Amino acid sequence: MGKKTIVPIGPYHPLLEEPEFFKLYCDGEKVVDMEWETGYNHRGIEKICESKTFEQVFYVVERICGICSTSHPFAYANAVESIPGVEIPVRAKLIRSIVGELERVHSHLLWVGLAGHFLGYNTVFMWAWKYREPILDMFEIITGNRNSYAMFTIGGVRRDISEENADKLLKVLMDAKKKISLLTGAVMDDPVIHARLKGVAVLTAKDIHDFGAIGPTARASGVDIDIRRDDPYAAYEMVDWKVITAKEGDIFAKAEVRLMEMFESISIIKQCLELLKKENKGDIKVKVKEIPPGIGIGRAEAPRGEVFHFVKSDGSNSPVRHKIRAPSYNCITTFRRSCIGGTISDAAIATAAVDPCYCCTERMTQVYDIKTGKKMMNAAELIKLSQKKTEEIRAKGDKND
Amino acid sequence: MDIEKYVKELHDKFPDIIYLEVVNKKRLMVYIPKSILKDITDHWFNDLNYRYVIVTAMDSKQGYELIYHYSDDRTGWLMNLNVILPHNEPEIESMTQVVYGIEWIEREIMDILGIKFLNHPKPERFLFAETWPEDQYPYRRKYRQEDR
Repeated sequence: MGKKTIVPIGPYHPLLEEPEFFKLYCDGEKVVDMEWETGYNHRGIEKICESKTFEQVFYVVERICGICSTSHPFAYANAVESIPGVEIPVRAKLIRSIVGELERVHSHLLWVGLAGHFLGYNTVFMWAWKYREPILDMFEIITGNRNSYAMFTIGGVRRDISEENADKLLKVLMDAKKKISLLTGAVMDDPVIHARLKGVAVLTAKDIHDFGAIGPTARASGVDIDIRRDDPYAAYEMVDWKVITAKEGDIFAKAEVRLMEMFESISIIKQCLELLKKENKGDIKVKVKEIPPGIGIGRAEAPRGEVFHFVKSDGSNSPVRHKIRAPSYNCITTFRRSCIGGTISDAAIATAAVDPCYCCTERMTQVYDIKTGKKMMNAAELIKLSQKKTEEIRAKGDKND
Repeated sequence: MDIEKYVKELHDKFPDIIYLEVVNKKRLMVYIPKSILKDITDHWFNDLNYRYVIVTAMDSKQGYELIYHYSDDRTGWLMNLNVILPHNEPEIESMTQVVYGIEWIEREIMDILGIKFLNHPKPERFLFAETWPEDQYPYRRKYRQEDR
């Protein structure tokens, strides 16, 4: 082989808006090898957690990712609660599952939109993100925040879902279901998307096993794994649902799995809300006095796959070791199989196909006057403004279009 | 899954196992010497098709603890291999020849804890910058004391 051209993507990804660096070694149009560099954004979260109390760690791990900001607290709660063997109240289990599934719907919509954007198909991007907005507003109504919901605590949840809000949520979901059906139909029947995604960046079941890939990436290659079913937690044993899989292993199959999973999530939330009504006014948390010495390993199925938390306690009020494994850590390594052999233009969508995680929570801004350079609003005023907006959304409720 | 039967089977197959313990619901911890790590990994990953999850590394009183996590997705059990390396000899064989995807986490452990993985295909810095000092490993207990 003659000379190879290095095509860099990064260190700041132009589309993912996240620091990561792909080095594509190309022979003409074809990618023959690739390298990946990371660590630009290493924050030492595991180390930070060791200096926090068990209770405070929830708010740290929530900030690992802005999109799956409930899956990390979910896995951490499963890990910590397994040390003393706490059984949480049914109502807390249901609320946890509702928040988790609602997150899956908004995360998958985000991915579908981004995938469209990566292909240069911005209509899909606009649609998907428009339909995602009412879901985020619903989060604000239920939890007070669009992201980083601060719902979880040791032994249960921090806020209840009132009957009024439950009705609102059901209405928004039924609306969203209609729109998602429309979007699914449009995406699955589109000849351009077929031409662009079918047979591209195929991962076989063996590739998945070799790299330990998980979530929709694995399920699209016919590997039938889902922590919600295999190692059940929260309310997933109490409701009827099925694991979506596809055989092909290409990017189209990954899109199909994610689109179909949204319907399952909506069905899970609907069943949970019905059970919540029956449960009436139960407790939402139990008091956990202390975490005894021991090891706790918690897992949760995030939109991108299994989140893994390992917590070691020595009987004090903070963990001595807290290991976190986000799903993208195992999925991104599959790029070596999916990108090599393809063309450069396919690499752009192939690197996005596993839905690598990034943050979209930049809602906090400082407002300056251009002429004088004076600060027009400070943090306290912005928080007030944000709370006013939440109140407005709550009052408006179901009028969302 | 009949865990007692399984524990007995595993002990018969690998008599060098130090001891086995069910830590809590559906979590099995197997303490082994580093000499049998490769055989047992191969047995779990290739024969039993367990899924590779991750490796946890920590500095404890006994030495550097490496915990290799594997998941049996048919039963929901999480199987863990615990290897303790003495503080004065932090060296172990790399498992990349058996589990392809383990490459990254071994490089990460090299960075944070300074454990040497023998025969690793790419023993380079993973998380930390090239300018990070050679002998500074932030996850070592000693480092924490100095830090405070």
